Amino acid sequence: MATTAASAGDAILVVDDITVRFETAEGPITAVDDVSFHVKPGEFLSVIGPSGCGKSTLFNVIGGLLSHHQGTVTVAGETISSPHKSIGMVFQEESTFPWRNVTDNVAFPLELVGMPRDKRIALARHFIALVGIDGFENRYPGELSGGMRQRVSLARTLAAAPKILLMDEPFAALDEQTRLLLGDKVLQIQQQLKQTTLLITHNITEAVQMSDRILVMTYRPGKVKRIVDIDLPRPRTSEIVGSEAFGRYVAQIWNDLREEASRGMRDEESHVLHHHHGGA
Amino acid sequence: MTDATATQRPARAQVAPAVIGFATVTATLLLAELLIQIGAINRYIVPPPSEVIEAFRQIVVEEHIFRRFLLTAAECLTAGVMLTLCGVASGVLMHRFRLLQRACETWVAAMASAPLVLMYPLFLVIFGRNALTIIMMGFIAGLPPVILKTIEGITATRKVLVDVGRSFNLNATQQFWKILFPAALPTIFVGVRLGLIFALINVVGTEFLINYGGLGQLITDLAERYDLAGTYAAICVVILVSVLFFMALERIERWLRPVD
Amino acid sequence: MAETGRLRGAAAAGPLIGPVTLLRAAIILGVLALWEFLAHSGWLYRDVVPSLSAIARALVALLLQGEYYFNLGVTAGEIGMGLLIGGSAGLVVGIVLGANRFLSKAFEPYLYYLGPTPKIIFLPIAIMWFGVDTPSKIALGTFSCFFPITLSVAAGMRQIDPVLIRVGQSFRANTLQMVLKIYLPAMRHPIINGLRLGFGFALIGTLLAETRLSNKGIGFLIIRAYDTFNMPRMYAMLIVLFVLAIGVNALIGHLGGLERIRRA
Repeated sequence: MATTAASAGDAILVVDDITVRFETAEGPITAVDDVSFHVKPGEFLSVIGPSGCGKSTLFNVIGGLLSHHQGTVTVAGETISSPHKSIGMVFQEESTFPWRNVTDNVAFPLELVGMPRDKRIALARHFIALVGIDGFENRYPGELSGGMRQRVSLARTLAAAPKILLMDEPFAALDEQTRLLLGDKVLQIQQQLKQTTLLITHNITEAVQMSDRILVMTYRPGKVKRIVDIDLPRPRTSEIVGSEAFGRYVAQIWNDLREEASRGMRDEESHVLHHHHGGA
Repeated sequence: MTDATATQRPARAQVAPAVIGFATVTATLLLAELLIQIGAINRYIVPPPSEVIEAFRQIVVEEHIFRRFLLTAAECLTAGVMLTLCGVASGVLMHRFRLLQRACETWVAAMASAPLVLMYPLFLVIFGRNALTIIMMGFIAGLPPVILKTIEGITATRKVLVDVGRSFNLNATQQFWKILFPAALPTIFVGVRLGLIFALINVVGTEFLINYGGLGQLITDLAERYDLAGTYAAICVVILVSVLFFMALERIERWLRPVD
Repeated sequence: MAETGRLRGAAAAGPLIGPVTLLRAAIILGVLALWEFLAHSGWLYRDVVPSLSAIARALVALLLQGEYYFNLGVTAGEIGMGLLIGGSAGLVVGIVLGANRFLSKAFEPYLYYLGPTPKIIFLPIAIMWFGVDTPSKIALGTFSCFFPITLSVAAGMRQIDPVLIRVGQSFRANTLQMVLKIYLPAMRHPIINGLRLGFGFALIGTLLAETRLSNKGIGFLIIRAYDTFNMPRMYAMLIVLFVLAIGVNALIGHLGGLERIRRA
């Protein structure tokens, strides 16, 4: 369970000994086991792991949507027990409000805190332009593509000016090309805003390209397997993406993941066998 | 073929809500009893539940409840058979003659949303103050859903099944009776169920309104006699019959479509 | 493929006087011809099937009569009030039941099984509790529309995409904000559908109550026409009533459909 030498003192997000257990039909399972790490301001940290490693659970814990856990999550000194204004979440699924146009979607968090209409429209427009969908302010999500809708979700979350941006596989439902373009956009914005970002993903290339550090998780119960410092210069051009160093990082992480992924597959298979046997 | 991993909540969690629900209802009745007995609620407007229960016994014995029930059931059954036969036949006809469907289906849908039962004074004039009025009221109220669901069921038959029939060179009649109609039966039954429910509601409602017939008429009778507890009891009986009828229809439907 | 059970607009695109229109015209003319024949045949008791001209005259007389609009207003007011009270109560109860699984399992079955029962039989109770005049009609209308609205809203709550709720939670929306900005807009279709059903039932409940015991309203006018054996007038009133009922139903349904066009 290697951790980097960064001191917790200058971290903006401290995840300390998080353990999450669930009651299921087949008995209690531990989704996340004793996970600890911290994130420095302006840092881009990816959390990567096989399916079933508890990364979405971790996402919900840090976001404050899941309070049934052991251990603490601290943001700028304050402990989190419910959604915190310093944390902005971007979900994996379609999450734009279909009944609001783009501007009203993005202005939603500003509306909640009572910002006057003119101000919030102006601010929403700013973030709409930032994510690159200017011109579509009055359209409805139903008229947009999947990639554009995720941009709306991103703009909406950024509009709330969170100290920490928390994203759960936001590109998972998109095709490869859209994902690459959107990934570049997110990286560009992150560098521009110096936004502290925590990205949950299962895509190694994406993680290596975008992150300063990568946290690799084990299969259930999810523990921290390794934290990898990505020591590549920014901006991460296509040259760098094609470089040997990049490839080595990817291979190293894939090695770790493959072990965990196979464990996951074997576990699934025995699960299926066991229950079919019981149900036939 | 059931999946053994189907969620098996602890038995307690499944029963607890039902118990709480029932307990709340019982508690409310007990509270009502108390408030009425101490005079907080006027007992000449709301009879105490204990009196209503006593009235239950009375009307069962004195008011020939079983005979009334049979009368209502007979009216409902007649209306039900009529609306099933006419409804399914109309639906089949409308499917067969596509032009007829395109012309008339919206009309039938409009009828389904119209307050048909308001025609009861008209039916009184046409058919007289007797069981025929009641049956006709149940019939026309329950007809539209049967027609609509029959059309829907036949039209929505999966194309692959139709293709199977074509691959066996079935003619139109065989195609209909051997493939389309059987495939449509579950949806048709949904329509018949709706039709029967509307029929019962309108049969009892009309009995109440025209003061003739079985259970519905009992309520009017007791209300006119100012038998307060009896009126409440009679209403409860009707509601009970209605609910049991609805549950029975649901059971039958589930039995008819076990795999969906 | 035909859409059944929902009131759609005009028939499929095509020539203006297409075969569908022709068939409809033919059916209507055929029915009217049969009607006129029966009216003059003398088979049925006088005026049970009045001649078309008699009905037309009664219709015109009705629509020109101030008294009719007064009674229409009374009935409309009663229905409106019933929908307002029953609708608001239904909305609140529906949201509560939809949001809480336990409460739903505990109490919703009662509403579900009591829904398809004849509400008119509660009229004696309504009269005892609220008197003979307007309030008892409103009570019956309220009672009639409460069930379909509550059940629609409760079901609608459960069908809201869970991620939308999580979005609201992640932005720390309070309960009122969740209801106004997320639940209600997300449920606009079930709400409108429940409203459509509720309107239909409130209409029936109120009118039937008026036919039994009232001295104003459309139901009262219908029964008065029955008592005086003024059949042309009764037919005229039923025609207007049906046109209005179907029209309002279609209007409410259209409100729900408008959304679909915008979201295209």
